[in-house]
Amino acid sequence: MQIKFILRSMSKNKVFTGINILGLTVGIAAVLLIYRVVSYELSFNKNFQHYDRIVRVVATSNDDGTGQNYSVCVPVPAGEMLTTDIPQFEKKSRVKETWNTLTVANPNGGAPLKKFNISDDHTAFFAESDFCEMFDLKWLSGDATASLSEPNTIVLTRNWATKCFGNWEDAIGKTLLIDNIYPVTVKGVFEELPSNCDFNFPFLISYATLKGKENYFYVGDGDWDSCSSNNQVYAQLSDPNQKAAAEAAVAKVGEKEYVNKKTGQRLRWHHLQPLSELHFDERYNNSGTHVIPKSRLQLLSAIGLLILILACFNFINLATAQASLRAKEVGVRKTLGSGRGQLVRQFMSETGFVVAIAMLLGVGLANLTAPLLSYVSDVPKSLPFLSNPMVWAFLGVTGIVVTVLAGLYPSLTLAGFQPVKALRSNAEKSLTGGAGLRKSLVVMQFVIAQCLIIGAIVTILQLDYIRTSDLGFKKDLVYTFGFGSDSLSIGRQAVLRHALQQIPNVQSASLSSDQPSSTNTWSSNFRFANRPEDEPYSTTLKFADENYEATYGIKMLAGRWLAAADTMREAIINHTMLTKLGLHDPNEAIGQIFHLWGSRDLRIVGVSDDFHTHSLRHEHMPLVITNDKQFLWEAGVKIRPDNLAATTAAIKAAFDEVMPEQVFEGKFLDEKIAAFYEDDRRLSATCKGFGLLAVLISCLGLFGLATHSAQQRVKEIGVRKVLGATTSGIVALLSKDFLLLVVLSLLIAAPLTYWLMGKWLQNFEFHVKMQWWVFVLTGVLALTVAFLTVSFQSIKAALANPVKSLRSE
Amino acid sequence: MTNDQCPIKTMIKTVNLSKVYRTDEVETTALNNVDIDIKQGEFVSVMGPSGCGKSTLLNVLGMIDSPSSGDYFFNEQEVGKLAERKRSDVRKHNLGFVFQSFNLIDELTVYENVELPMLYTKVPANERKKRVEELLEGMNIMHRKNHFPQQLSGGQQQRVAVARAVVNKPKLILADEPTGNLDSSNGDEVMKILADLNATGTTILMVTHSQYCAEFGNRIIRMLDGQVVAENVVKRYL
Repeated sequence: MQIKFILRSMSKNKVFTGINILGLTVGIAAVLLIYRVVSYELSFNKNFQHYDRIVRVVATSNDDGTGQNYSVCVPVPAGEMLTTDIPQFEKKSRVKETWNTLTVANPNGGAPLKKFNISDDHTAFFAESDFCEMFDLKWLSGDATASLSEPNTIVLTRNWATKCFGNWEDAIGKTLLIDNIYPVTVKGVFEELPSNCDFNFPFLISYATLKGKENYFYVGDGDWDSCSSNNQVYAQLSDPNQKAAAEAAVAKVGEKEYVNKKTGQRLRWHHLQPLSELHFDERYNNSGTHVIPKSRLQLLSAIGLLILILACFNFINLATAQASLRAKEVGVRKTLGSGRGQLVRQFMSETGFVVAIAMLLGVGLANLTAPLLSYVSDVPKSLPFLSNPMVWAFLGVTGIVVTVLAGLYPSLTLAGFQPVKALRSNAEKSLTGGAGLRKSLVVMQFVIAQCLIIGAIVTILQLDYIRTSDLGFKKDLVYTFGFGSDSLSIGRQAVLRHALQQIPNVQSASLSSDQPSSTNTWSSNFRFANRPEDEPYSTTLKFADENYEATYGIKMLAGRWLAAADTMREAIINHTMLTKLGLHDPNEAIGQIFHLWGSRDLRIVGVSDDFHTHSLRHEHMPLVITNDKQFLWEAGVKIRPDNLAATTAAIKAAFDEVMPEQVFEGKFLDEKIAAFYEDDRRLSATCKGFGLLAVLISCLGLFGLATHSAQQRVKEIGVRKVLGATTSGIVALLSKDFLLLVVLSLLIAAPLTYWLMGKWLQNFEFHVKMQWWVFVLTGVLALTVAFLTVSFQSIKAALANPVKSLRSE
Repeated sequence: MTNDQCPIKTMIKTVNLSKVYRTDEVETTALNNVDIDIKQGEFVSVMGPSGCGKSTLLNVLGMIDSPSSGDYFFNEQEVGKLAERKRSDVRKHNLGFVFQSFNLIDELTVYENVELPMLYTKVPANERKKRVEELLEGMNIMHRKNHFPQQLSGGQQQRVAVARAVVNKPKLILADEPTGNLDSSNGDEVMKILADLNATGTTILMVTHSQYCAEFGNRIIRMLDGQVVAENVVKRYL
């Protein structure tokens, strides 16, 4: 009887039922999608058995005088000490991140049979045998101790073993070449790691393999001062409670070595980073695909919750606005003996029924739109969604929460009606209370919607600023690719450059350590000219050939670009370096000597204008560019816009001919630069998508309230028309109150977002200014949409025949 | 209607019953020290001009409103000061209501409207079915049992409302202008039903403007400005 009754009641109020169900469906779908993202990110690394005991050794330093720096790098001697001197470490492994090419050699000589690059978002390791045990590798064949304890051994994932040898079962004992140079024997094959962990290594090479090849693999020269973020240490504590003791022991490592020899001040400390923080701490990079700060997850969850709350507000608004229509029923039921509790239960179950329908539709909508998540997150499309029981458990909890949130207040209000009042003929007017509440909820809805819209506009403006701002070099039409840095490849650099320049549409080709803007940072201390001491700050470094200026369009302030050379003889400094050195005229620097690495004296031949060496989040840093062919492994080819496909194909063909054992992966520079801002683009897409949803749900609610208001004022409108009111006057009368609420909400949203988005923009050293018109535009947009929503009902009411409306009264 | 062996018990007794409505500016006395006495099995009509307190009296005696002062004994139990939950309990087991505007629930069918009071008194389903069908047959609206109230004529709606009022076999039926919205023939029909119910022992208290309807009862209480000003027994000349 109850369900039949609810269905009849719903079909009697089709518009309001539709608004409630649609709003809640969208809200529930949004929450489910956000749950998918947040639960995926929060599940990272939890699969490992010793999740709570595994740590990574990280470092903080202030050795370059620019304040606290965070790094994952562990200098080679510190790594040795950490793996021998910390008693709380039950298992430990030094690792070195690596991105080498693997080749299957041709037994008959010549080009390799197969060659594989590690894709950009994967990282392989040189690692010690404990590493496999710490991270629970599931062996298909071979095992940890046997596999990685000897030099020149490698273990592969099932996929890579299959790729290399056709069948993973054939891999054991076979030989592969690292960068087509160093042979390693396959000692084990293991199952792929799950996607929700910060390790996606396709293979592990034994750490002992590095011995004797330190220079080739840039392990560092064994001193405490040089450090690469690729060199790291992981450990497993014997007991989670030992963390404090281990932290204290680790802090002692380098206490004599990490000191400024003149002042005796300590410059660097090691700390422990728990595995549980690896995925969320932006201060340190990890070896997985991405780091996501918990604040971002909180923001996403908050947005999801807000969208759902918006839909609940609609429900509350419409239910309380319509409460008077149910007064008679409440009066009759109470007179016939129904208690308040029974009525609350009845109204709550009605809400629950609507929520249940919305949940079913919401699940369908979420399933349908799940692929869109790739615009705002890293959740793999293959991740189970509706087959995951946790999703249903979450949905169940959401259903209960929404039912209570949306239904409790209206239920208590309705059930609280006194029968004697409810049964009076004028009950409808005397019981329609809660107008203040409804107005507040509408204002809150539009505050949320407008905050998201302003957020979206500001992020779009900033991303547009990034896209169009002058980076200080020309990023368009530069095709880039990497190549090996082994002696064979170094010998072929000139041939490669020549081959590229022969391609008809190539303007120039340059080889370098990295492009003008990149995520790499090389830094070093240095001494300038005749000054007796090193400068109190570091310089960043780039290595480039003689074509770099022409290829990337670097602007020179004085002097000339580097001449062709094989070794480090000349240097270019940038304008920031000039200023930091205390020089004003670029010409003053020309001819001065720049002392690097103790023994390298470089003559400054030119001063370049500043260009962005990193993303626009970073300020300009002092930079020196020099030439040394052993550090060239990135090519940039400036091409003409005609027939891009043919030109890029010709570039690949030239590469394959000169370096047949290497894998070609080309990418345009502007795409690489755009990738710096992937996180920001996602934030923008999130604001846009959810902002639209917020506007949609808020307008649905407004439409419902306008409909209700027009229905309630039918008689008033009729009388006004008879007395001579115009249609536009009546539309204005009915719309005015709602539009005032939207204006009020803008007055709240504007300062709130000015503050919030101002904080976000502070993340960028170079950013747009908050413009007044953003707020005006948002207000106009919101008012227009609200007016269109409300005016539909207002115009309908204003055009109705007054005779009819008066008669019906 | 009287029983020689047993003394007739008093069903309703009020002593100095008053009801005052207060707003910020105005205080209105709807009932002013009303003393009435209604015996089991009586059919009492309350008459008086609009605003004299008839409906307020009915609401207070029907326990859907509480008195401001004075005592109200129902079956010798003081009920005027009972908590809402207890009043509701007394109400659903003892009283039936018939309203001028019928007050049927639009979303329920005829059958469901009549069945509703029994859901609150937890009557078993088969018993409910039996009673609803008997009543609808008796009221001659069985053929309309699956219709909704709006699909019925006023007279039919009021017959459904009467059926709903008696389905729990109440000891007292309170009727507030039961014929006010009906034409004379439908009005007559409803009054006959009430008279028949009274004949089978149900006490009836009815508010009406119509002298004709009032005379279906055996006593008329006349009210003015919240007070009982006269009482007279209806004489029937056969």
